[in-house]
Amino acid sequence: MSGWEIFEVWVIAFFTLSLFSFMYKDNPFYKVAEHIFAGLSAGYYVGLIWESVIVQQLWDPMMGGDWWLVFPGILGFLMFARFFPKVSWVSRTPLAFVMGVTAGIFIISQLHGLVLPQMQATMGVVDDVNGFWDFLLATVVVVGVISTLIYFYFSKEHTGALGVTAKVGIWFIMISFGAHFGYTVMGRVSLLIGRVQFLVEDWVGSFSYIF
Amino acid sequence: MEFWKRIEGIDRRWIYLIVGIAVIVPFLLPIPFPISITPEAQMLYDHIESLPDSVTVMLVFDYYPSTIAECEPMARSALHQFWRKDCKIITLSNIPLGGPSMAETVTREIAPEYNKVYGEDYVNLGYKANYVAVLSGMGTSIRSIFPTDNSGTNLDDIPMMDSVFNYEQVSFIFEVADNATADYWVSIVNAQYGVPMGCGTTAVSAPKYYAFVGSGQFVGLLGGMKGAAEYELLVEKPGNAVIGMGAQSMVHLLIIALVILGNIGFFMLGKHRRRVS
Amino acid sequence: MKTSFPVAVAFLTGMALVVSFFFREGTLVGDLSKNLKIWLTIVGGFTLLLGVVSITRVNWAGVKRQKSGWGYKLLTLVSIFVMAIPSILPASWSPLFGRAEGSIYDWLFTYLDSPMMATMFATLAFYIASAAYRAFRARTVESTILLLVATIVMLWRVPMGEAFLNLFPGDLPGFLNAFVMNGANLAVQRGIIIGAALGAASMSLRIILGIERTYMGKG
Repeated sequence: MSGWEIFEVWVIAFFTLSLFSFMYKDNPFYKVAEHIFAGLSAGYYVGLIWESVIVQQLWDPMMGGDWWLVFPGILGFLMFARFFPKVSWVSRTPLAFVMGVTAGIFIISQLHGLVLPQMQATMGVVDDVNGFWDFLLATVVVVGVISTLIYFYFSKEHTGALGVTAKVGIWFIMISFGAHFGYTVMGRVSLLIGRVQFLVEDWVGSFSYIF
Repeated sequence: MEFWKRIEGIDRRWIYLIVGIAVIVPFLLPIPFPISITPEAQMLYDHIESLPDSVTVMLVFDYYPSTIAECEPMARSALHQFWRKDCKIITLSNIPLGGPSMAETVTREIAPEYNKVYGEDYVNLGYKANYVAVLSGMGTSIRSIFPTDNSGTNLDDIPMMDSVFNYEQVSFIFEVADNATADYWVSIVNAQYGVPMGCGTTAVSAPKYYAFVGSGQFVGLLGGMKGAAEYELLVEKPGNAVIGMGAQSMVHLLIIALVILGNIGFFMLGKHRRRVS
Repeated sequence: MKTSFPVAVAFLTGMALVVSFFFREGTLVGDLSKNLKIWLTIVGGFTLLLGVVSITRVNWAGVKRQKSGWGYKLLTLVSIFVMAIPSILPASWSPLFGRAEGSIYDWLFTYLDSPMMATMFATLAFYIASAAYRAFRARTVESTILLLVATIVMLWRVPMGEAFLNLFPGDLPGFLNAFVMNGANLAVQRGIIIGAALGAASMSLRIILGIERTYMGKG
């Protein structure tokens, strides 16, 4: 490890431990790290948007002859009218543009790409039945999908047959959320393992170069 | 009963300390256990292996630096598997905070191992805002959304992109994500353009994507650090995810013990309160 | 006019995208939708900058009024400018400028921003352990099912736990994968996906038709 690499490892370790120190109690080291983090994250966006949008998508193409790109550029700048109360209404147009185009893509993609394939797969699961366990699994899937959809249907009171199906839905949902909780624990712990791996292997490993 | 009352009211910082120790100890005293491969990870690996050599694929870095521990091992292993098959790789990101940088770092680190040259064997398209428009727009023309690569080089000047214009020339998309962008890859790209897709995702999102595997919209799925470890073993490049499984085991057992202890205390104190009243 | 023009914009652009699904590139509608998507990526980039301007204004106001903790707000502002300014200067002036490897921007992201982001999320593991001890109680039948399944899945997803489950007769991990993850969990997630997608599609229709206008704000 070179001297500069050791310095870099110690910088990372300093800020990592500063943030972890909050687990004991709030302190100035944590506050400093937190505010630097917030500032750097905001500053990152500036560099990214400057180069990937303003330079690569607006300035260079416009200089190359695509002058019509000045219109989305103007729409983008109009967004900043939000910060001036007297003219904040101007920012509604670019917002409406964003919402309109996104909504147009969404209608098709949500129905064609999510609803239909998932419904098709649910109905198709009975085709793949090959023995008792496959039949049981197919039943679990079909009953689970229907009872879950019925549980989340709140336009009618859950009584009678609807109530019983909704109750079955709750049981399925509890199983799924239990699995989800188990996975969530795994996910959060993994992130901690990543940081501890750095501290144990890289930071503690740098001690041998220093001491 | 005094014991359970004290246990119930224990300062949470003691729990934090125990968790910290449970994570650190396995790194100092590793106890390896075999890691089994789930069918979903195997299906993903097998599908990529079945791709013809030298095809063009997309590797999408849709994760924030916060989930590097779970997602980066997946991306690294994917690069190893793709480059063993001499695939041409297009990387991009829909994550504004760090996505393009991480794609750049990981690809440039692994490329020399396979003598891969930027521009000929792989390209980093970078980031463009509004992933709905990006995913949808690339179906018509990649150049309309990404006129240049991440560093500003015109795509027409990049040899690898001479024959790649939209999704029709892409044989597979491997999405590594820690958020809902995978839903849009499925609903926009896979559904409308039919490109086969696989997904590596954080453990928090993984349970949802079993539905996409079941419907065939994903050919396979890697879930969390365990999924990353499985994939590392499949491509025979054990790394950080495999190493982290020891600590993962220890903390899971600790949390299960805490849940059991907490519930025992809850019931004991509940019984005591009912007796007293 | 202040409201009706944006509503008309949302309607026209939304309808153009819906109709274009049925037209190929090269047709008038196909080319229109391609250009609208390009415009959207450009306008979308500016929306990201809104957050930066907002955080700068808020912190500057705090520094100007010298509110409690203004020193930290000044630190935030300095961090924003230290990251932003070198990144927008041309790399031809110095290898420290721009966004390439070796620049100030790249170094600050790799050695400060990225590790700190990872650490922030890593602290969640402590909170989830504390919550597991204090709050996860089997008070009802439903919560007991949830906790039992969570416990078994937590065991299954780690090698040590899976080795323990393999001590029981039968293929318990295989059963968990088949009937819990690819059975009950898949069914529920599928139901939620269908419901949420129908909701998103209907909300999109409301936006296009101008019924939903909350995104425009007051006034």
